[in-house]
Amino acid sequence: MKTTENALQVRNLIKYFHDPQTFQVIKNISFDVKKGEFLSIIGKSGSGKSTLLYVLSTMDTDYEGSLEFNGEQLTGKTQNELAAFRNEHIGFVFQFHYLLPEFSALQNVMLPALKLGKHSPEEIEHRAYENLRLLDLKEQALKKANKLSGGQQQRVAIARALINNPSVIMGDEPTGNLDSKNSLAVQDIFRNLAHEFGQTIICVTHDNDFAKNTDRTIEMADGLILK
Amino acid sequence: MQKSKIKKPTVNRQIAWTHLNSKPGQTLVALLGVTFGVSMYIFMNSFMNGVNQAQDDLAFSTLAHVRIYNDDDKRSYNPAESFFDAGTLLNIRNKKSLQYTDGIKNTSQVMATLEKQPEVTGITPQLNFSVFFRNGSKKINGSISGVEPASENQLFGIGSKVIAGSWNKLDVQKSGIILGKLLAEKLNVGLNDNVNVLNSDGVSKNYTVVGIVETSVKEIDKSRAYLNIATARQFQGKNFDYSSDIQVNLRDRDQTAELVSLLKSAIPYQVESWQTANQQLLAASQLRSIIAVAVSLTILLVAGFGIYNIMNMTINEKIREIAILKAMGFSGGDILGIFLAQAAVIGVVGAITGVLLGLGISTTVNLVPFKIAGLTTLPISYIPSDFISAIVFGIATTLFAGYLPARKASKIDPVVIIRG
Repeated sequence: MKTTENALQVRNLIKYFHDPQTFQVIKNISFDVKKGEFLSIIGKSGSGKSTLLYVLSTMDTDYEGSLEFNGEQLTGKTQNELAAFRNEHIGFVFQFHYLLPEFSALQNVMLPALKLGKHSPEEIEHRAYENLRLLDLKEQALKKANKLSGGQQQRVAIARALINNPSVIMGDEPTGNLDSKNSLAVQDIFRNLAHEFGQTIICVTHDNDFAKNTDRTIEMADGLILK
Repeated sequence: MQKSKIKKPTVNRQIAWTHLNSKPGQTLVALLGVTFGVSMYIFMNSFMNGVNQAQDDLAFSTLAHVRIYNDDDKRSYNPAESFFDAGTLLNIRNKKSLQYTDGIKNTSQVMATLEKQPEVTGITPQLNFSVFFRNGSKKINGSISGVEPASENQLFGIGSKVIAGSWNKLDVQKSGIILGKLLAEKLNVGLNDNVNVLNSDGVSKNYTVVGIVETSVKEIDKSRAYLNIATARQFQGKNFDYSSDIQVNLRDRDQTAELVSLLKSAIPYQVESWQTANQQLLAASQLRSIIAVAVSLTILLVAGFGIYNIMNMTINEKIREIAILKAMGFSGGDILGIFLAQAAVIGVVGAITGVLLGLGISTTVNLVPFKIAGLTTLPISYIPSDFISAIVFGIATTLFAGYLPARKASKIDPVVIIRG
């Protein structure tokens, strides 16, 4: 399912931190990410890899340069437009799982789809169950999120990231809080998604084993791409 | 596309609802704050209305809305000055005063003018004067009110305050007198006893007691007696159309100013509204209302602070969830909506329970015995506009208290929170 089309295009990206003093975190980088590519970004802490991810995620808009998604220019859009865009096109998986603890696993998975509102709640619920089943979580569906183990929570977060069939899934150390068994499981899921379903995956990690498992690795140091 | 417009608020409401349910204790505390504020607002205002109304009922049992009387002003006219040139030295000893006019001599004419005014609902002429009441060797000074029994009763409802005998007896028995309760006790007379009355001109006459009246205004009960106005005129040696006061009631007692200014030009007597004659009544009732509003608004304000604190705490606890919601594509407006919806639920539910609790407190207080000045229980009076403003203030305070933290939540930058 690999295509040569670009999912993501970054041009001349420069980003400064102003607090406590002005400091250039990302120094004029440009790169493309292809559709269906499983990409990892590695680098030492402070290399600017997480900062890069948050710019790519559209949540951080304080940068210079341009960002294009499937040929659509995102630089310069308003926060609300970007929120709607994220809802439909980007799924997130974070190191600390960030589920809504008062909601059941199923509800957590359903939320982005309910927000998108493209399908009826019944249909969304059905698809959420499907996603949970895919991640071997069907039995946990009705448990409160804060009653699940770390590995289960991370898989629920992945199920949630998938619910709207986003073109890109982004992870910030998605396996950082998991043991090696769970970590491998997550990596398998990601690779499967990229290769079987053509979804683009971008993960920031400091885990070299994880990076080896991906199609391409971007290594960053001092705000520059090494290779 | 239309579908998505319907779904979005539903998911926001669902999140708001889950938040409210996940911390029932906190929700209850916020709710109780509003409930207490609204119920106190209703209770305080209903109580003050009750007090004001009881006070007014008491005051207007002897006070008409407009009183017309002949004020014998000090006269500065000195005839000697017009007979002699200025500068002439005059020596007048023991100057006597002359009474030019006294009372209202053309009562029926004035009353005819008054009857033409559409706002006027009742008119009664009175002939009031001071006398000594005597029974045996007992001598008590007091006053007599010569009245037209029917119209007097229409204005002041005095007939219902007669505790022995009957008010209408004044109409049929011209030599009948009705005494204040304490006056009758002091004179030691009862129904059908005779009482001797002596006026300032030295005329003395006997009247038969046909009734005892209790107005609950002590000053009146211990010094006032009523005669038929015809009998009173005869006793005072006045003509058949003479009176000292004409009392007028209006449809709306707060609208006296217009009539007073109209009558002042049409009638050559003093026209005085109850507001000018009894400013203390007006001041007291307005001050009470201000206190009631101040106290209840303070309570609502405190409740508002409580809600503000609870909402702020909630938002600080949920700051990561808010960030993740934003990362998933919820806009600032959605977050604002989620937390405002919680405030709205607290406000509306609190207002409703507050109204019920307020009614409950008021009804209970209304049962507390209070036997002073004609009252039997503490007075409560409900005014619909108080309920409306209690609900409006309750919901508005809650929404405002919820809005500030909600706006803060809507402005959370997810990057800052998620990156830690």
